Amino acid sequence: MFVAVVALLAIGSTRDAGPLNPGDRIDSISRRVACPVCDGESVFESRNPASEAIRAEIRASVYEGTSTDDEILASIASSYGGKVLLVPSSSGFDALIWALPAAGLMIGLVGLWFAFRRWRAEAASLGLPSQDDYNLVDEALQRHRGQRDD
Amino acid sequence: MSAALGNAGLLIALVASSVGALATAVAIIGGNRRALRQAPIYAAIIVGGATLAVIAMQWALFARDYSIDFVQRVGSSTTPTLYNVAAMWSALEGSILLWVIVLALFTGGVALRFARRRDDELVAWALVVMYVVMTFFALVSFGPASPFARGATVPVGFDGPGPNPLLQNHILVLFHPPLLYLGYVGFTVPFAFAIAALITGRVGEGWLLETRRWALLSWGFLTIGILLGGWWSYEVLGWSGVWAWDPVENASFLPWLTGTAYIHSVLVQQRRGMLRVWNLSLLVATFALTILGTFLTRSGVINSVHAFAAGEIDGYLLGFFGIVVVISLGLIGWRGDALRAPGRIDSAVSREGAFLANNVVFALFAFIVLLGTVFPLLVEVFQDRQTVVGAPYFDRLSMPIGLILLFLMAVAPVLPWRTASAGTLRDRLFWPAWCGVAALAIAVVVGADRLAPLIAFMLGGFAGGAAGRQLLLATRRQGFRGLVGRANGGMLVHIGVILIAVALAASNSYTHSATLTIGRGERVEWAGHSFEFVGVSTEVTARADVVMADVLLDDSKVYAPAVTTYLQQGMTVPTPSVRTGFTSDVYLTIDGNDPPATNADEVVLRVFVKPMVLWLWIGGAVMAIGTILSALPSRRSRRPTDPTSAPVLETQHG
Repeated sequence: MFVAVVALLAIGSTRDAGPLNPGDRIDSISRRVACPVCDGESVFESRNPASEAIRAEIRASVYEGTSTDDEILASIASSYGGKVLLVPSSSGFDALIWALPAAGLMIGLVGLWFAFRRWRAEAASLGLPSQDDYNLVDEALQRHRGQRDD
Repeated sequence: MSAALGNAGLLIALVASSVGALATAVAIIGGNRRALRQAPIYAAIIVGGATLAVIAMQWALFARDYSIDFVQRVGSSTTPTLYNVAAMWSALEGSILLWVIVLALFTGGVALRFARRRDDELVAWALVVMYVVMTFFALVSFGPASPFARGATVPVGFDGPGPNPLLQNHILVLFHPPLLYLGYVGFTVPFAFAIAALITGRVGEGWLLETRRWALLSWGFLTIGILLGGWWSYEVLGWSGVWAWDPVENASFLPWLTGTAYIHSVLVQQRRGMLRVWNLSLLVATFALTILGTFLTRSGVINSVHAFAAGEIDGYLLGFFGIVVVISLGLIGWRGDALRAPGRIDSAVSREGAFLANNVVFALFAFIVLLGTVFPLLVEVFQDRQTVVGAPYFDRLSMPIGLILLFLMAVAPVLPWRTASAGTLRDRLFWPAWCGVAALAIAVVVGADRLAPLIAFMLGGFAGGAAGRQLLLATRRQGFRGLVGRANGGMLVHIGVILIAVALAASNSYTHSATLTIGRGERVEWAGHSFEFVGVSTEVTARADVVMADVLLDDSKVYAPAVTTYLQQGMTVPTPSVRTGFTSDVYLTIDGNDPPATNADEVVLRVFVKPMVLWLWIGGAVMAIGTILSALPSRRSRRPTDPTSAPVLETQHG
């Protein structure tokens, strides 16, 4: 089964889907740019004329075919300011938005590890069940069977 | 007239809730049983007052009573009747009124459901909490966000603009907000019982069982409300997406995340008596996040800190949020000793271990969404510059979380309580794992590529197999009764979630789009479909002018993406036209800023081909059915040897 999964994943993920068509490439870039005048919408979603202008700019760059996605984004950021980029940078204060979730994950995992360690220590200190405990369980089971037969 | 009636209704609700809270609390503390038995009467008065206010508002909208400021802003003689009903929640004041009526109904529901136990302290304190929350919303609605405030004098023949055009061109605006509010407000009930349990010291499992169905159904309403919002966005906004991670959406998603964590971890408490503090915290978080979300989205604070003072109810909401958090945490701290877990989790590879993992992941998810939503605010406060955090950030972080959750959904249902042996796991996971392999193989055969969506399909199959296995075993034993009850209904909900996850992975990863310029009578082929521009048709009404580009799709049927110009507002709204199919949708729009003339020789058509979108809605329906089934009582009786919860009796009177 493991081999089948690895083989299928390898086939699927390495198959050449061909270059993105220009429409899809324009979409993927415009999803990463914020509409400069509306609240929280991307250029891809917004129907505002300001967004139309940026989309036209992206379209022109894509059809020109000389720049990479990141270069196109950088050129838009330089003309409209950094606040149009929807993915925060990973340096300075903005890095917190990436670092805090990672820290949260670590705290969660470490917390779980400590909790299980404590529980295991507690369980170990209890020792094995006594004969009385077994009798208690047998009695309860018997009662339960009795009720079912009624 | 309407204004007077509406104000009277709100005043009645305000007085009844505040007097009810005070009188009931005094009666409990003084041990006055006679006064205690009267506690539910206030709920009846609240329902009456809130209903009166809503009827007054609906009448004012229906009669276009322009003496009221709110009606001047959202009323119009040209708005069709159904959208006129929905106009009530198309602006802030009316949506607070919607909150008031929903909360009143829930308060009435609690009073009715627990009528026989009204002198039980737990129930009485829960009612006090409901009354206090009601007092807050009635106060906001009667005071700063009054929907019945008198408007400026208007000239004879004045007609208002009606609701925002986006809120009057799809039937879903009638259902999405009320369902969402049923979910938001419904969580007040388990929250109220949690606070009551803390006050009375009866922090055992009793209050959980009392509120299980309330929490479950509220969660179901919230789920369906959110999904209908996505559907509305898809059918109306024209960018072909269902979710944009904008602050308003995130505000509804946050309580959903903590609520989902709660309905899972509560099972551990019911079964093992553990995680008491955690469950209480999740409920407090869920309730507080509904208030915080309303504050964040209604105040404009997210877009700019300078808008802080703009809204009039910001201070109220923020203050109430603060009070809720401080009092709840104070109570949890006060009852710390009684809340200490009497049990322990033996092994990480057990049902309760999986629930714990689920909770860590959901809490992390909620933290990420909250962080991303308020981050622009933090940057502005600390660095005095503006920034935006958008969908790409959330997409990037939610993808691995989604995959982990799918994996947990696959493994958790087959795990036994307490501990699992490798042999048991191998046996029980055998067929689900093969379902995962089969799903992956199908995806590869139909041409799917890229690692992340492929893993999503595989885990989707795996999780679907696990849920299917449990349902199969249950129905084989008990017939159709096997679909009922918490565990089995829950598996149906899982199947709905899996359908949605797979549909999202497919539609986000494999959507193709193009902008096609097509001459009249010309036929263009793209992405395996043909598009023929037949002509332009128009529709003129008193309300709006509609221009439609008629496009013959695949030589079979004409679809008509439109641009509607709303005359009152002078606003143009493009409306997509969608061919829905089981495997993929074809989504057509035209540019709203440049609609084609009637005799246009060509049309510029924006086309999206999106796979599997229909399965989002099917998944939602399955989730709704599963939620209802899991709220029904199952037949299975508990064996006395089942690992049971804490020694409840000890703490009940503590």
